[in-house]
Amino acid sequence: MITLTSVTKLYNEGRPNEVQALKGIDLEIARDAITVLKGPSGSGKTTLLSIVACMARPTTGRVTLDGEVVSGLPERFLTELRRTTFGFVFQRFNLIRGLSVIENVMLPAAPLGGDHATVRERALERLAALDLADKATMPVEFLSGGETQRAAIARALINDAPIVIADEPTANLDTELTMRFLEIVRALRAEGKTVIMTSHDPRIWDAEGVDAVVEMRDGAIFGEFA
Amino acid sequence: MTPWLRRQRALADYTLASLARRKGKNIALVAVYAIVVFVLASAMFFAASLRLETSAVLRDAPEVTVQKITMGRQDLIDGAVADEIGKIRGVTSAKPRLWGYYYDRIVGANYTVMVPDDPEMIPEPGSVIVGEGIPRARGFKWSGAPLFLSRYEGDLKRFNVARAFESDSALMTSDLMLMNETDFRDFFEIPAGLYTDVVATVRNPNEVATIVEKGSNALPQMRFVTRSDIERTYQKLFDWREGLLAALAAAGILAFVIFAAEKASGLSAEEMREIGILKAVGWDTRDVIAMKLWEGGLVSLGAFLLGTVTAFAHVFFFGAPLFAPILKGWAVIYPDFALAPHVDGLELLTLALLTIVPYIAATLVPIWRVASGDPDAVMR
Ligand SMILES: Nc1ncnc2c1ncn2[C@@H]1O[C@H](COP(=O)(O)OP(=O)(O)OP(=O)(O)O)[C@@H](O)[C@H]1O
Ligand SMILES: [Mg+2]
Repeated sequence: MITLTSVTKLYNEGRPNEVQALKGIDLEIARDAITVLKGPSGSGKTTLLSIVACMARPTTGRVTLDGEVVSGLPERFLTELRRTTFGFVFQRFNLIRGLSVIENVMLPAAPLGGDHATVRERALERLAALDLADKATMPVEFLSGGETQRAAIARALINDAPIVIADEPTANLDTELTMRFLEIVRALRAEGKTVIMTSHDPRIWDAEGVDAVVEMRDGAIFGEFA
Repeated sequence: MTPWLRRQRALADYTLASLARRKGKNIALVAVYAIVVFVLASAMFFAASLRLETSAVLRDAPEVTVQKITMGRQDLIDGAVADEIGKIRGVTSAKPRLWGYYYDRIVGANYTVMVPDDPEMIPEPGSVIVGEGIPRARGFKWSGAPLFLSRYEGDLKRFNVARAFESDSALMTSDLMLMNETDFRDFFEIPAGLYTDVVATVRNPNEVATIVEKGSNALPQMRFVTRSDIERTYQKLFDWREGLLAALAAAGILAFVIFAAEKASGLSAEEMREIGILKAVGWDTRDVIAMKLWEGGLVSLGAFLLGTVTAFAHVFFFGAPLFAPILKGWAVIYPDFALAPHVDGLELLTLALLTIVPYIAATLVPIWRVASGDPDAVMR
């Protein structure tokens, strides 16, 4: 269980351009479930995900992960959580240009000091499962949109993180690729992973297998649907 | 392999892949950097070796040299002066010397011609022993070719080259020509009993001043030159030359600092984003810094090695062709002139620290600033 208690997030705190992106969020996100955050652009979905995934700290409020408070942890521990607990698929995928698919996929494993051959093997397996094995050595900038997304998913999975977070995963995908993505998500769920994602896309909210939908507006929770 | 080593290897792998992306830019970077190191290291090697040469010269220099001065100029000296000097208390030996310069009109070079003191080095009548620079200047193709010397238009004198000698101190001996006394007097038309100068050795170097004083009183028309006078002259010469090199080095370092600062300030948006991504996928600030250390280390160490190795070859194998014209000048024969390889470890270390450390520091500081922030900026 991930719980957020009175979480607020201010950007540019104390300056004239201060933005209150989150306004007192209380939320529980179940493990072993697929949770979707929906809401209009600018409503704070990405901000919320970044706090859940330990990439940013809440300005006030508390975040716990399986009962442990994570919101006040020092940087070192947050990094540790980012690399072992969360696999992140970014809104813009954020693959590193100029590197090959496999090099990108192996990035999160580098600081762990695992055996190179083993890590590579695991990366190839992930790529094969996502139908990208033949693109492993291709520079990422030559991938199509759907392939880029799957490469980003493979990277999120390389350290076998139990919680996979995807921000607007289907923004640029057609219906067929969206259905394909949902299948991947269900497969991850079947492997026992917790999936949290954001989306504007009704095809996602209504999809089979989605356990909870949380609607946000203006930095606050507007409604929760199971 | 320990996890630490494997982590370093993974970071180094990433660095290499990352450097390979901007091949052109990085090659240019290493090239500029290596050129700076090359100039500095060449100057350093050259200066160190010149200093070594000087000390070799000074080691062999006589403690006291006596010259006859006529109308303010050095003149031939009577051999009898040596006997007088030898009588001064504290002088262990005093010998007259015959030596001079010969301008070789055929190749436009100056040779130093001497009658050697060492009996083993005295050539037979009609023969000379020469430094290896002379046959080279003359373009001799085989050993045993005769050496024709012309003192004036229409004059031609034949010598056999008994042998050519090589020496560690090429700077001082490559243009040297040894003759026996009879040939020398004949060649330069020096009357018997007259010499170039007189050299004296003393029992105790502390007595040199007293001996010079006594000698000057007894022989007022003579000038006494001591080893420390020669040392001072050389020192002046080398100071001037080294000053020139120091100026060159300072310019190089300045250029380098500007270049490093430029690189340090120019952390591009793309690099910043990349660091954000690495942090977001679970790299620690330390991982990012370690990776950048690899990058800085590979670039700067690579450039340093490239620069010093080419500088070593430049100075010791090719005779510093880029510096020779400004740095030498007392002998016209310097093509191919090989300085004795001499590397001062401490100086080399200083150079390494002066070039590697500022570079790495200059690149790390801005990275540190970017890497220690929260990575959420890359999410939008
Ligand atoms: N670094 C920042 N500085 C200032 N304001 C920011 C910053 N990051 C986000 N914001 C603001 O915070 C608010 C919430 O942004 P967020 O990215 O969470 O929205 P979102 O729901 O993910 O929108 P979208 O659906 O368009 O991705 C927005 O008004 C945004 O402009
Ligand atoms: Mg968003």
